[in-house]
Amino acid sequence: MEKEKQVVKSYSLARIIKAGWINFRRNSFLSFGATGILALALLVLSGLIILNFFTDTVVSSLDEKVDVSVYFQDSAKEDQILKIKSDLEGLNNVKAVAYVSKEQALEDFKSRHGTDQLIQDSISELDYNPLQSSLNVKATAFGQYASIVKFLEDNPLKTAIDKINFYENEAAINRIESISKGLSVWGTTITIFLALVAVLVTFNTIRLTIYNKKEEIEIMKLVGASSWHIRGPFVAEGAFYGIFAAILALAIFYPAIHFASPKVLSFAPNINLQGYFMNYLGEMLLVVFGVGLLLGMISSGIAIRKHLKI
Amino acid sequence: MINFKKVTKKYTHHFTALEDINLEIKPGEFVSLVGPSGAGKSTLIKMLIKEDRPTSGQVILDGVDLADVRDRDIPFLRRKIGTIFQDFRLLDSKTAFENVAFALEVSGAGEDEIAEDVPRVLAIVGLSEKHTNFPKEMSGGEKQRLAIARALIHRPKIILADEPTGNLDLVNSYDVLKLLWRINELGTTVILATHDREIVNTVGKRVISMEKGRVVRDQLEGGKYII
Repeated sequence: MEKEKQVVKSYSLARIIKAGWINFRRNSFLSFGATGILALALLVLSGLIILNFFTDTVVSSLDEKVDVSVYFQDSAKEDQILKIKSDLEGLNNVKAVAYVSKEQALEDFKSRHGTDQLIQDSISELDYNPLQSSLNVKATAFGQYASIVKFLEDNPLKTAIDKINFYENEAAINRIESISKGLSVWGTTITIFLALVAVLVTFNTIRLTIYNKKEEIEIMKLVGASSWHIRGPFVAEGAFYGIFAAILALAIFYPAIHFASPKVLSFAPNINLQGYFMNYLGEMLLVVFGVGLLLGMISSGIAIRKHLKI
Repeated sequence: MINFKKVTKKYTHHFTALEDINLEIKPGEFVSLVGPSGAGKSTLIKMLIKEDRPTSGQVILDGVDLADVRDRDIPFLRRKIGTIFQDFRLLDSKTAFENVAFALEVSGAGEDEIAEDVPRVLAIVGLSEKHTNFPKEMSGGEKQRLAIARALIHRPKIILADEPTGNLDLVNSYDVLKLLWRINELGTTVILATHDREIVNTVGKRVISMEKGRVVRDQLEGGKYII
């Protein structure tokens, strides 16, 4: 065992990498196939990252659109409203509560319809403020709105409340919730499925590449090569598949994003694919190169195991 | 040096490759192992590098019972023995130099040792000019000489040659034989398995004849191919 360790040590990393590189270069036909398949797998992976960004953005923008407004009676006093506000803020499932006073509501209304002369005239005709004070409640999650509404209905200051717009919007909220959940679930399912397919195809391609060399592996064993001497260069070769596949995948992916990004922006202004890609460039490179290297090396390592039995 | 004690190898109930083989081979001997195809010559050689194991009996090499050699120590055993095959068994994706260097690399040799020893051994087998060639660019005789160079690179105590001339013409066969002879004169034990009558009669040393898995004749000196 001691001897084995010494041998492994002297069989330096540089020599393993060099042998792997020579194999990669000389078997260019097989290397090209394995690298191509691995590049496709990495493209699928990059596509999935973007798909997840896409669904996340859609889900969170849907999320943003959902809230519940509580309108108060004209008779409600401001301290009552603020008490309810602080009660709501004490709840775990409430993300934010915004108070809009009668006056603020009127200001907002006026500025919103600043250009509409008819509305401006009608408002100034009135000698009172027809708008109500309100609290705008955002929950931490879709499913929480019903319990927040229940909390309000059980509140001792309930009499100050005129109406809660939850029931009118309930159907819409539920629908948005189910779309958003569906998007997340499908996004995850497709990601897992396609990632699995990509890994299996890559693994099998590398397995076939190594199967092709089983005679050479036999010969190596016959001249006294230990498992490490045989495995090392193959794993290094797998690493080269990974590196070149990552370069190839990015060389295809970046122009594709560059081309698609303005088209997506034109119908979904808050989804900036290229912006996302550039913001997370470091992470993207890390993931694509990391996965490429690991997939290449692990697949080679596993595929060769079977041929190493003496 | 090498001892076979009551070695039997059965592949199935119906097929016995070796039966009750008892042999002793001393250091420095040149042994021709002869017999028709299927006589068990290759099986005997495979036992020595633990490519195959006896069903019963003991194979002892340098005082070590090969049954006691653990799987992970087999590479060390194989580095002590140089093996030459009829089909050359060269690494097609490596050049002549790299084929020989690989055998040194696996025993942990440094770059300096490789740079010094490989050209020397290639010169011994007359392949200095071909060191950058791949096996597919070489003739049968050259391939076999390269295989011999690879077998020699460890300075092994034993060379096992399994039908090394089987794929070669007469001239190349004699070249290979002369090389084995020289190797033997330098003190290496050579075991040559062959069914080539001419070769065996030329060697004229110890000849062990096998038939149907048994040793039928063991001529210790001046042996001839007799079946």
